[in-house]
Amino acid sequence: MSAVLAAERPQVVSHVQQALSYTVFDCKWVPRSARLLCLGSAARGTGVLQLYELNGARLQLLREIEKPKPIKCGTFGATSLQQRYLATGDFDGNLNIWNLEAPEIPVYSVKGHKEIINSIDGVGGLGIGEGAPEIVTGSRDGTVKVWDPRQNDIPVANMESVQGESKRDCWTVAFGNAYNLEERVVCAGYDNGDIKLFDLKTMSLRWETNIKNGVCSVEFDRKDINMNKLVATSLEGKFHVFDMRTQHPTKGFAYVSEKAQKSTIWQVRHLPQNRDIFMTSGGSGSLHLWKYEYPAQRSKKDSEGCEMGVAGSLSLLQNVTLSTQPISSLDWSPDKTGLCVCGAYDQTVRVLIVTKLNKI
Amino acid sequence: MGDESVPYFLGEGTTKTYQIPISHLDYKFIEKCTDVKHLEKILRVLRSGEEGCYPDLTLVCEKRIEHLDPRSRALRKDKPPATASDFTAGEWQAINSELMNWLTEMNEDDRKSQLLRTDTPNERQDNLPPVRCSSSCLPTNQNKKLQNKQRSKKNIPRDYSEWDKFDVEKECSKIDEDCEESNSKARFFSRPSLPIIEKKIDTTGMTNRDKIIIATREKEKGNEAFASGDYVEAVTYYTRSLSVIPTAAVYNNKAQAEIKLQDWDNALEDCEKVLDMEPGNIKALMRRATVHSHLQNYQTAIEDLNKVLSVEPKNTNAKKRLLELEEKLKSLKPVSEPQGKGKKILIQEIEDAESGEGRGENTEECERRGGGSGAAAAVRAGGQRAMGNAHRKSHGKGGKARDRDAHKNQDSAESRPKKGEPEKKSEKHLSDHEGEVNGFLRSDEKSESAEAEISEPHREESQSAGGGSSTALPPTAAKLKSEGNELFKSGQFGEAVLKYSEAIEYVTSLGEQRPDDLSILYSNRAACYLKEGNCSDCIQDCNRALELQPFSLKPLLRRAMANESMERYRQAYIDYKTVLQIDSSIQAANDSANRITKTLIDQDGPSWREKLPPIPVVPVAAQLHRWDGGSLTSENKPSTIDINREEQLQMNCEEAVEKFKRLKNEGNDFVKMGEYEEAANKYSECMKLNTEECTVYTNRALCYLKLYKYEEAKRDCDHVLQIEDSNIKAFYRRALAYKGLQNYQASADDFSKVLLIDPNVLEAQKELEEVTQLLHFDGSAGAGSQQTHGKKITIQEVTEADEQEERQFATSEDAETHCVPAEEAVPKPVPRRASEKRRVSEPPNAYDFGQMINALNANKDKAACADLLTVTDPKTLPVLLSNKLEGETLLIFIQSLEHYIAGKDPGLAYQHLFYLSKAERFKVVLALLSKNEKGEVQQLFDLLSKSWSDQYSLEDLESLKKVYEL
Repeated sequence: MSAVLAAERPQVVSHVQQALSYTVFDCKWVPRSARLLCLGSAARGTGVLQLYELNGARLQLLREIEKPKPIKCGTFGATSLQQRYLATGDFDGNLNIWNLEAPEIPVYSVKGHKEIINSIDGVGGLGIGEGAPEIVTGSRDGTVKVWDPRQNDIPVANMESVQGESKRDCWTVAFGNAYNLEERVVCAGYDNGDIKLFDLKTMSLRWETNIKNGVCSVEFDRKDINMNKLVATSLEGKFHVFDMRTQHPTKGFAYVSEKAQKSTIWQVRHLPQNRDIFMTSGGSGSLHLWKYEYPAQRSKKDSEGCEMGVAGSLSLLQNVTLSTQPISSLDWSPDKTGLCVCGAYDQTVRVLIVTKLNKI
Repeated sequence: MGDESVPYFLGEGTTKTYQIPISHLDYKFIEKCTDVKHLEKILRVLRSGEEGCYPDLTLVCEKRIEHLDPRSRALRKDKPPATASDFTAGEWQAINSELMNWLTEMNEDDRKSQLLRTDTPNERQDNLPPVRCSSSCLPTNQNKKLQNKQRSKKNIPRDYSEWDKFDVEKECSKIDEDCEESNSKARFFSRPSLPIIEKKIDTTGMTNRDKIIIATREKEKGNEAFASGDYVEAVTYYTRSLSVIPTAAVYNNKAQAEIKLQDWDNALEDCEKVLDMEPGNIKALMRRATVHSHLQNYQTAIEDLNKVLSVEPKNTNAKKRLLELEEKLKSLKPVSEPQGKGKKILIQEIEDAESGEGRGENTEECERRGGGSGAAAAVRAGGQRAMGNAHRKSHGKGGKARDRDAHKNQDSAESRPKKGEPEKKSEKHLSDHEGEVNGFLRSDEKSESAEAEISEPHREESQSAGGGSSTALPPTAAKLKSEGNELFKSGQFGEAVLKYSEAIEYVTSLGEQRPDDLSILYSNRAACYLKEGNCSDCIQDCNRALELQPFSLKPLLRRAMANESMERYRQAYIDYKTVLQIDSSIQAANDSANRITKTLIDQDGPSWREKLPPIPVVPVAAQLHRWDGGSLTSENKPSTIDINREEQLQMNCEEAVEKFKRLKNEGNDFVKMGEYEEAANKYSECMKLNTEECTVYTNRALCYLKLYKYEEAKRDCDHVLQIEDSNIKAFYRRALAYKGLQNYQASADDFSKVLLIDPNVLEAQKELEEVTQLLHFDGSAGAGSQQTHGKKITIQEVTEADEQEERQFATSEDAETHCVPAEEAVPKPVPRRASEKRRVSEPPNAYDFGQMINALNANKDKAACADLLTVTDPKTLPVLLSNKLEGETLLIFIQSLEHYIAGKDPGLAYQHLFYLSKAERFKVVLALLSKNEKGEVQQLFDLLSKSWSDQYSLEDLESLKKVYEL
């Protein structure tokens, strides 16, 4: 039986490996193309931005741009499909938006945070998410800020701890719930294990929880639907999948947690073509491909008659080890199912093909 | 290597990490151990190498864990990425070429879009929603007051520099947003209110490619929502996708989601859109069939399924559903089967007449009538029926735009789904009344079995009438009669009387000699009178009927009952006795005769018998098989009957059985010798003794086939199929008969039914191909001849309708007398389970399997479930179940395994249990089982542990028990 199942299972093929001369922090597919971007920090402390094109079995370098500050993260989430401007956050707390055709000066630039921008996410662009294009940044300075590229200098929303309270390092941010013009939430994960869900429509903190260990990565299964699931990965190798459909007044959201390996889970990315499949990348250089299975009933009534969610279950579809160093970034191609790029601290970027994803 | 040496070398002691006794690091121990946790520890020790390196032992341990718990985390190993060697050459090629294709496609697109690049920036900005109100600040802990303060402060620009940036539009939106904010709080707490998702996507300024991408993405969202069971959301996203680019696939998916929501009307509409785009779309046809069957338009559903089968003759799902539907139809309308046959031909009639302009009108008209008189429409005479079918057809062939247009023009106000209603109503109506009739019969018990027996001669009559089709009723009379039957069934006896009277008048006015038909009509009218309590008229009619057809059972019985209720006991006694001479097995007649005897003794004293008028002697020809020699005694010494009745009955039965056997064997011998004529005669004699024995009929059908008497052969097969609706021989022979009659369509249908029951009948496959070819060949040329067939069958419908009626009662009769063993020259017929019997074939995919399971669950049909499990390869169970395993499903599996499979094939039962535990969601479902349900599982295991199979050992069973948490 195992043989049968093995044949049915998706396989992860390492299609191209490209050694880099700098530390890569993030890599991203350019939407609607076979090109990808690597962002990172060169040895001499400058920022590097490389544009590669997948050309058969190799990556062809199209362009290399050097910037004064190391670039930590980037997103295409808030740009139109025609423009495909890249938004980046750097070590100095700057949010820049680049036109990759003319990358000399940014089309938008703001010193958003006092310290490094750890994480960035965009919504409202690429046809994903209703409403205005917005970018959210999370920084070591403890603030989470939402930006509209049409408004210079000041964020459209700013989420920071009240004065007097200690600032936590925000490691990760993500948009979600953008299914109509009004609704939108931002989820942020902090170094102390806090996960906070901000409702941008009501400008309120909708929910918070603590998963005990630093939250390395959060992502909604889709940004542009009534929020459905949220995956949060943590420092000690566990991750939680929250069912975001049903919020209980006291218990919050139901979740299922799973331990992938002993090391930190750096990233989680959902397959753009199927929200129930996602990949986690681990500190030991491994990738795990998971599938979430819904329970028969997604919600039930508790003893007081309040609706509460019921978590589903997780199954491991495949796991591979690519490197001895952590894989810090991961991105699925939005255009080609199963095509995936990941950057590891062994200064290598890999293009992977995951097979049979549409058969699950 | 070193399996024995391990414990020997290290002696006693434990491992360093988990303190496992060293002796546990042993093949034998691992093979027997069922504790997954312990094994995992052993595996970790082995892998760490702290006790030495034993690759084989490690492997065995891994296998054992995998066997016990395939999802064990200990099994997760660091694996390198897959390489070419992990795939077959073909797969590898496919992976690479797929990527290459995509790359070239992307590059081309890139080049194109770069050319278009010039005017794109800022184009879409106008459509964008305004910027969120500036600088709203939100503390990361919940402190709403503070937040509001901050907000209100920042709402108004505080100095001139900020005024410069003041944006009216922005400010307006802010006001809007404030309103929303106050609303939204209420909304937040009243969750989960349905999210408002736009049903349409604004596609202005999008290129074609953009649209494709967006449509695809919305479809994916729909699919995901569907997968998670949120069908409303799925429909929404499919609608969005369709608003960008309408595609057949999305309509199809939407239809499926709507089916799940039981939104039949929209589902129907969507299926039809698909079929407009892709007339042969199998999925859409299947789905439309589902919708129609739920709207109870069984005919249309059947038509759709037939279309599916004409494209994919091997679609087992469609076949299965077709059979189900046909059975449903049968159980709903007693007249449906022949209707099915007649109907197809009638469609052709319409297709011929399609050029007729006024068809839309006709269909309309007929629809109204169809609503009025229900199922009777099916038996209506020629032209009207044609219209009825025209109407149905307009449902069925959605692809025919012309047809539909005609329809729409006629009643643009009436929406499509409404058109299904008249049919639906009438059918419901009908089934209700059937219930009533049954209830009625049950309520006055003494007449129940009498009614049952009444069917006997009636069938004979109708068969003889049907035999030469020329002697059947003229269409008008037939129609009137069947309407009368319907009314009778629905309990409207007075109106039924009117119908019958009309029919009688009509028949008599024809002046022809139709004693059989008139007799039946009178008899039927008598039944109405009897029900109404109008005994004198009843007796009159019975007298007339008996004048025309002496010694027919029904009128005799009815007259007896009428006499009895009028306290004319002597006459009643005589009639009952006569009935008993004809058929001694009629319990009601027996009972009544006894009762009347008592009454008469009370009334007239011991010499009551002398006052009786003479009991007529029933000619042997009119006596029914069971009595055979017995009638003489009953005639001569009526007084002894009561005493010796039972003994005699038994004796006669035995005699009859023996004679029957002898005759049958003789018949078989004649067949072997090739003397079919003789054989047929012998079989016919057999039938006189026992009309219920199917093999005789199938054998005689064979003889008739050999003698080229197709009509007769068909009739025999029909008869068998009435009794046993899955008799494969009968289907096969009827198919041959149809072929001989050049009714290729019916022939093909029957062959496919044969294949459905047993796909391995090679002859049937061959014949089917041949017939299908002939069918094509015949095509238009055969239309004329088929029309005549159609008429013939129409006539038979009437007679078969009667038979069908009788079948409702046939079971009670069976229960009473049956001593004929089923010893035969033909393979044992499938056990009679009449209409609810489902035929099962191996499900090809998870979808079909799910559908089957749903059906089984709905009926709690464990036997069918057992059949399904028997044909299903246990290994495929997890795949077939996918993530659809539910408590109900698990339970019905367990039950059918316990009751049907474990006894016969414990190995199979074990396999099923084992692979069932591998299904997704198994753990969840198991956890939700109630105590009783757990008990059932326990019972099954007990059963398995008692029985033995080489497929499993007791340990296997024990470990599986653990998996089942017992």
